[in-house]
Amino acid sequence: MATTDHDHRDRCAVVGIGATEFSKKSGRSVAALVSEASLAAIADAGLTPADIDGVVRSDYDSVTHNDIGHWLGLSGLTFWGITGTGGSAPCGMIGQAVAAILSGQATNVLVYRGLNGRSGLRLGRGSAIQRSGGARHVGGNGTLDEFFLPYGLMAPGQLFAMYARRHMIEYGSTSDDLASIAMTVRKRANANPAAQMAHRTMSLSDYYESRMIADPLRMFDYCLETDGACAVVVTAAERAKDSPHPGVLIRAVTQAAMPEMQGGLVFPALMRPDLLDNPGRRVGKELYRRAGLGPADIDVAQLYDCYTITVLLQLEDYGLCGTGEGGAFASSGAIDIGGTVPINTAGGNLSEGYIHGMNHVVEGVRQMRGQSTSQVPGAQTCLVTSGTPTVTSALILRAA
Amino acid sequence: MAAIDRPLPVVDDEETGGFFAAAAEHRLVVRTCNSCAATLHLPKSYCHHCGSWDVGWRDVRPTGSVYSWTVLQHSIHEAFPAPCTVVLVQLDEDPAIRFVGYLPGAPELHDGMPVRVRFEDIEPGVTIPQWEPVPEA
Ligand SMILES: [Zn+2]
Repeated sequence: MATTDHDHRDRCAVVGIGATEFSKKSGRSVAALVSEASLAAIADAGLTPADIDGVVRSDYDSVTHNDIGHWLGLSGLTFWGITGTGGSAPCGMIGQAVAAILSGQATNVLVYRGLNGRSGLRLGRGSAIQRSGGARHVGGNGTLDEFFLPYGLMAPGQLFAMYARRHMIEYGSTSDDLASIAMTVRKRANANPAAQMAHRTMSLSDYYESRMIADPLRMFDYCLETDGACAVVVTAAERAKDSPHPGVLIRAVTQAAMPEMQGGLVFPALMRPDLLDNPGRRVGKELYRRAGLGPADIDVAQLYDCYTITVLLQLEDYGLCGTGEGGAFASSGAIDIGGTVPINTAGGNLSEGYIHGMNHVVEGVRQMRGQSTSQVPGAQTCLVTSGTPTVTSALILRAA
Repeated sequence: MAAIDRPLPVVDDEETGGFFAAAAEHRLVVRTCNSCAATLHLPKSYCHHCGSWDVGWRDVRPTGSVYSWTVLQHSIHEAFPAPCTVVLVQLDEDPAIRFVGYLPGAPELHDGMPVRVRFEDIEPGVTIPQWEPVPEA
């Protein structure tokens, strides 16, 4: 029975999760990584590749539907979808799976993200300049790179540093606040044997001694670079009842852009009138409406953390604290285990591994199953968000 | 003399070329709708405010203020050795209009600091507006 005009509420479930090892050098093809994670997710769901009739990937993923179909022998594909941009994709990818299932275009949808993010294409080095292939002239053809790259603005860290600076100017947030996010998430990784930073602790002095890269952001404000893959299987809630893991429902999922859009890849977002008004605010509002829930109902959150500052901004965007209060909220311990809303319980992009936010979906499912290495006792709802600032997406998982 | 491998802007794009043509004449311009006067920045040739395709370039006052900035302490491109600064500027004439600029080193900056355009002629036909702090009177 539909209880809302958005009648996808609780009607699909995540029944399978899978992940590879997260490393600096996999020595394997991205297709092999994605296949391993996908096979794990399919097996976890109690299915076989023959049961998979839909696949969804990120626009940044090099493994296409043709590739995964070929690798896994998906003989019955009837649906494939792509969304993006990049790290803003994962929750939106789940949304496409839900749309395909509820519209009758697919039954069991595999959603994946894999990359050799350290040994292959290193996104943080400035994909725009890499895309240009070393050409002397940059931009044109709708990229709008001509307004940014000639000024030495080339890497996403520089962009997010400007967000951090602006937040410091307007609200007085501090490097200590950013450090508290990095350190909290690192503690979660220290409890997670599969995390890249499982065995490296971080003290406040470690944070301040880490190299300044794009002031005010230091090395430990940056996410990791990772070779690895994550995958999940989505199916209808009715069908999920017959699966080994029936209990993780997709309460609601939402994508949103901005009224003041900008084109290009990521740097044009700097041209929007208010740097601190990000699409997460819109996604959050709509997501809660679709879910029939509010920020106070969120027991645990997996917040996309390409940088510490993106966590700080999203704490505000998703109403977990007031506007401008993200820094103080993070420093208060509210995001730690035992706090109001523990975050990134596997270590996130900052300390578990950078699977471009797909690892956040997988960890959200673990929390709802009670299987996290930093399990939040009694957690019934988990907010999962994807990348920002151009567009973004988010979802709420619910333990049935 | 231009550095050998410095990235230069494409200056003949259908949508953005007029900006660089004006810069080559040391004029700072923004795309503007001729029907409803809306600013269309970054440039595009359709106005989503009023549905017009009749657009032009409007000269704007080349003064602004610092909105944000970052100091790169770790070089990622040899044409921009660290430390160097990228500054995000809002125009005095309309704070909703933004530009970025490059400053070598790590000059002392603060929110709202007055800046003005310095046109940098990199090579014939290739000029970009840079933003530099206004010297104190
Ligand atoms: Zn108009």
